[in-house]
Amino acid sequence: MLSYLLFTLTIGGIYALLALSLNLIWGGVGMVNLGLAGFFAVGAYATAIVTGAGAPVIVGLGSALLASAIVGLLVTYGTLRLRGDYLAIVTLGLAEVIRLIALNERWLTNGADGMSGIVAPLRSTVGSQAFNLGYLVFVSAVVILMWLLLRRLDHSPFGRAMKAVREDQELAGFAGKPVLRLKLQAFALSAAVAGLAGALYGHFQSYISPDHFQPLITIYIFLAVSAGGVGRPAGAVIGAYAVVAFLEGTRFVAELLPGVDPLQAAALREMLVGAALLLILHLRPQGLLPERIQPARKTRP
Amino acid sequence: MTNLTLDRRSFLAASAAVAGASFLPGSLLAQGGPIRIGTLTPLTGAGGPYGPVMVKAVKSVVEKVNAAGGVKGRMVEIVSEDDQTNPEAGVRAARKLIDVDRVSAIIGTWASSVTTAVAPLCWESKTFLCTVSGADAITLLPHQGYLVRTQPNTALQGRKFGEFAVEQGGKKVFYFSPQTPFADSQYAAIEAALSKAGGESRKYIYDDKKPSYRSEVDEMLRYAPDTIVLGGYTPDTSVLLKDIYRSGFSGTKIAFGYSVNQKLLDTVQPELAEGIFTISPSPAAGSEAYKALVSLIGVPSPDPYTTQIYDHINLVLLAIAAAGQASGEAIKDHIRAVSQSPDGVKVNNAVDGLKLIAEGRAINYDGASGPCDFTDIGDIIDCQFRYDQVQGGKLTLVKIA
Repeated sequence: MLSYLLFTLTIGGIYALLALSLNLIWGGVGMVNLGLAGFFAVGAYATAIVTGAGAPVIVGLGSALLASAIVGLLVTYGTLRLRGDYLAIVTLGLAEVIRLIALNERWLTNGADGMSGIVAPLRSTVGSQAFNLGYLVFVSAVVILMWLLLRRLDHSPFGRAMKAVREDQELAGFAGKPVLRLKLQAFALSAAVAGLAGALYGHFQSYISPDHFQPLITIYIFLAVSAGGVGRPAGAVIGAYAVVAFLEGTRFVAELLPGVDPLQAAALREMLVGAALLLILHLRPQGLLPERIQPARKTRP
Repeated sequence: MTNLTLDRRSFLAASAAVAGASFLPGSLLAQGGPIRIGTLTPLTGAGGPYGPVMVKAVKSVVEKVNAAGGVKGRMVEIVSEDDQTNPEAGVRAARKLIDVDRVSAIIGTWASSVTTAVAPLCWESKTFLCTVSGADAITLLPHQGYLVRTQPNTALQGRKFGEFAVEQGGKKVFYFSPQTPFADSQYAAIEAALSKAGGESRKYIYDDKKPSYRSEVDEMLRYAPDTIVLGGYTPDTSVLLKDIYRSGFSGTKIAFGYSVNQKLLDTVQPELAEGIFTISPSPAAGSEAYKALVSLIGVPSPDPYTTQIYDHINLVLLAIAAAGQASGEAIKDHIRAVSQSPDGVKVNNAVDGLKLIAEGRAINYDGASGPCDFTDIGDIIDCQFRYDQVQGGKLTLVKIA
């Protein structure tokens, strides 16, 4: 039981990082990134390839950040003219492209077999129980650090400019904000955070494959951010943990319900995910922790 | 702001309740309590059509066993989770089965990626894993014996192709295949089967997106084989068959059952495919275990995965009985004693087997998917294959062997 809790909390932490990434780009600049799973994949594969070649884990994490930031920049350049739904569809396609590359470039990614035996740092020396505990502490620390950083970012002039772009891109440009640069920076940063989540996942599970990066996880993260509150890092983090608790908790609830067979339970869980998203959007569209907009500073007379 | 704190509190309370509730099932398990086995099949996602029947088969077997008094007096309990045909979700489900339900074995993992992701959790926690995934790499994982699979790997399929070619009088076999994860291992097995019979073979890997295979077929003609093996999928095989027909090749042609299928026969000119033999893994249709399974679940011709998971649950329960305890380690150490004991009494279901074990006799389980004998790394040694031939534009059964 304890190891199950440790595991679930670690997965919650990884979801929280993904939610922070989505919150930054969606809540911050208003760009809908349905390609989250793709950046998650880039990070995971980057560290798997680099550490597989013998580099230490820290270099792997670094390369995951770098690789996904670069892919993020490329995507922003490629989609400069797209906004809203159009951007969302293109990013969804991008995630699929990344998955197909992982599936077909066997020399790099080992294709459909996936990459197994990714280094789990210190696992062989401390044992798997201690590793699970240590990794949970590490992932949680990364989540807290990232949350603090992104919260600081939100309150900085950069964050305010970002939100100006979100509200009205033309107006922000007119007011002298460098819209393109802001978008590029925010997307690269967001992609890097998602890549970091992927890298942490890879080292935790020791195995990744193209199947891991189906759009399923993107949908969970959208649910997390919507539930937590778009535009507020704390909301994203809480939302992510809530989604994992929901996904895992429903297993136990389904077992307690009489007369529900496993197939019905599985279908019910999927339906509940959809229903939860609808309910949240209907009843509390601002999320559990709504965005806090700081009042503009009073100008001196 | 008051609203906000309330929300946060009630949220925390709710999640604490969920976490607390999840402690319950684990504590119910005591020594001498029920034996727990987990099924981890796809109930949603790409594998969704297969999983539900698989679970049904397992539950039916367990009902019968429990009605007959359980395993050594202990009842068997099945915990079913959905792997969502996704390794990320599959791992979460497996962790719950292992850590909370403390199952002795997980059976039925379907997608190769899910199996590869779940396998390390199993061997580290000493939980036994039975799978229906086919990727060759799975049994090569360092699983320390905690894994068996009932799906023939591609090397076994290759051997069957080679042996069948020899049987048809083949001496020179030419193997055509696109770049697939299994092309090499399959060819190696064909080559071995041929050289054992004094024949020879050659392989040719082609690009599966070409509109014509003239040069590939010329290459084949230069080798002058008497048999060709078509290792591709339906679309490229359709194109390749045209060029083979044009070349006037008149020898034996052998292909996979999944590539030369009714769909291909419906789309190409009848003379192109006439006489091709197809080979596909087959459940042991007609065996006692297969008949028992059919009557148990009421499905006239169960798919291969259902026949395999039926064998998983039977084997696991028999291994537990033979070991006298329900740990994953005990199953690992005793599974081969019940699956392939050389002088054991042949049994085809757990209820009969449990009786014999209680009488102290050795047993040898032969299942619905095949004889269920395993190599040291957990691959099946043999299974039945279905051989068909295209006759008059229709697939006609040649034999099941």
